[in-house]
Amino acid sequence: MSKSFLARNPSVLIFIGALAAFTLSITVMSEAFGVGMVSTSMVKTLGMTLCLCLIALAMDIVWGYCGILSLGHFAFFALGGYMIGMWLMYARTADVVIAAQANAALPPTEQELTDAIAVQIFGVVGGDSFPWMWAFSDSLFAQLLLVVLVPGLLALVFGWLAFRSRVTGVYLSILTQAMTLALSLYLFQNDTGLRGNNGLSGLQNLPGVEAGQDVTSVWFLWASAAALALAYLFCAWMMSGKFGNVVRGIRDDEPRVRFLGYSVEGYKLFVFTVSACIAGIAGALYYPQAGIINPDELAPLASIYLAVWVAIGGRGRLYGAVIGAATVSLLSTWFTGGRAPDVNLGFYTIQWVDWWTVLLGVGFVLVTLFAPKGLGGLVDYIVRKDRA
Amino acid sequence: MSALLELSGVSVTFDGFRAINNLSFQIGEPELRAIIGPNGAGKTTFMDIVTGKTRPDEGRVIWGDRSVSLLSMSEAQIARAGIGRKFQRPTVFEDQTVADNLMVALKKERGPLSVLFYKPEKSDLERVEELAQEIGLSDHLATQSGILSHGQKQWLEIGMLLAQEPRLLLVDEPAAGMSGEERDHTTEILREAARTRAVVVVEHDMDFVRKLDCKVTVLHEGSVLAEGSLDHVTANQRVIDVYLGR
Repeated sequence: MSKSFLARNPSVLIFIGALAAFTLSITVMSEAFGVGMVSTSMVKTLGMTLCLCLIALAMDIVWGYCGILSLGHFAFFALGGYMIGMWLMYARTADVVIAAQANAALPPTEQELTDAIAVQIFGVVGGDSFPWMWAFSDSLFAQLLLVVLVPGLLALVFGWLAFRSRVTGVYLSILTQAMTLALSLYLFQNDTGLRGNNGLSGLQNLPGVEAGQDVTSVWFLWASAAALALAYLFCAWMMSGKFGNVVRGIRDDEPRVRFLGYSVEGYKLFVFTVSACIAGIAGALYYPQAGIINPDELAPLASIYLAVWVAIGGRGRLYGAVIGAATVSLLSTWFTGGRAPDVNLGFYTIQWVDWWTVLLGVGFVLVTLFAPKGLGGLVDYIVRKDRA
Repeated sequence: MSALLELSGVSVTFDGFRAINNLSFQIGEPELRAIIGPNGAGKTTFMDIVTGKTRPDEGRVIWGDRSVSLLSMSEAQIARAGIGRKFQRPTVFEDQTVADNLMVALKKERGPLSVLFYKPEKSDLERVEELAQEIGLSDHLATQSGILSHGQKQWLEIGMLLAQEPRLLLVDEPAAGMSGEERDHTTEILREAARTRAVVVVEHDMDFVRKLDCKVTVLHEGSVLAEGSLDHVTANQRVIDVYLGR
């Protein structure tokens, strides 16, 4: 037991090594920094995939380790995206407005500038001033803080109410679905301050950065990889010791943990909130790569997909969640992106854009039936030497 | 001897059924006590009340030197106050090793943050080994507890209770499904535990109760029917009626 944490968990080092190798090789093959074998849009897709792996990690610690099937994690993800999106949009619009007024005969007053920026941003929903929630949008630091604080606070309040009332199992899952749906419907309204169904757009343009998309896409790939590596390290550390044992105990036998004197609600709340913060960070890295965020991103279906990824990858093991999210979301991009060849059966042509969800559903059923531990469980077969 | 746990006038009704009916009852420290009674006598409900799982409709449950009421405390708070409970079915964390199970149960800070930054000290590891010795699982410290035998799981659970260092141990049918040899070992563990603390054993099996050789409380329809040595209570005509009349 005196061995260091990393020595006891070789999979962590293997994972981070593989992630670093992946990121490096993509960089070497990118258009901006390498031979140009991988297109900029592909770099973005891969960077976004890493963010999806990150939220899968967050999902795994609540579901796979603590047994809370949250079907509302994309609410936290999207909130993280909105928080960083507010700064990106404000700062870029401010740059544009200031540049446009630079040649005006009279230099504009502070108020005129603010109004002009507000009209630029909110004209589309008929607004001409900044709503209260944009109070800190001019400060990158504040918005970065909010990326973690807003999802964390929502999870804290929601979790406190739900766990304290001992809502568990499928009832809790339904509540989380309701949460993300309610938030989504709320944001769809034009007067909520986040531009309704237009969402926030143009997020791929970093204010004050001259470099093109080919360069920034690689930056974001690295940032996403670094966040994933750090979160992986943190989650593995958190779940490796006694804390992890208590949390797994809650998953397997909640009353037992309670009668051992542990406040189960406190632990659930802790894990749920940490998970929401990680999801927020994932979203904050994802949407600048996607370029746009709108309330559709909080649709209940997205969070259900997340659970499917983690189940296919293998819950209760961190690399399982990552493998599942990467595999399924990349396959999804491929099949629905129109690049998968249609299958002509003579009497019917299978077009993958429509049939991908069927394939995913069948895959989910097959994994549940024949590999309950998910794709990550296959690793067990490879590392069987010690069980001879 | 002052009472460690005192129930007075406790009643619970489930959908019109009176599971516990004006129950009054005391446990001293140290003491080994067996509670027997036919099915539906309220044995398990009694444990549920003491451990905070069920709230009684009326009555008082007073605990410890400072006579605090257990009724306003959560299960976890009651457990931390020093009441350990063993369930009828062995409930250990099957996914984890014997050592991990014991380590989780060790009497330590229980808050999420202090557990997150917890590092096992040498004394903790020694205590785990000592406990494993006591319950006869020294050779299985690194074993996944899910693959232990039924009896071994029961002992592990008792070991986890001992690790909590409770002042009162509530044990629900520890000998159920055990072989003769395993029963003897269980008796030994319980009697040893009762040297320094209060142990309450709920049991069906008269032979096992006889082996425990302790004061017996007979419950019937949610209240105390008789109390005393096993020979004393089995000679009681009302007890005979209740047990044989069914």
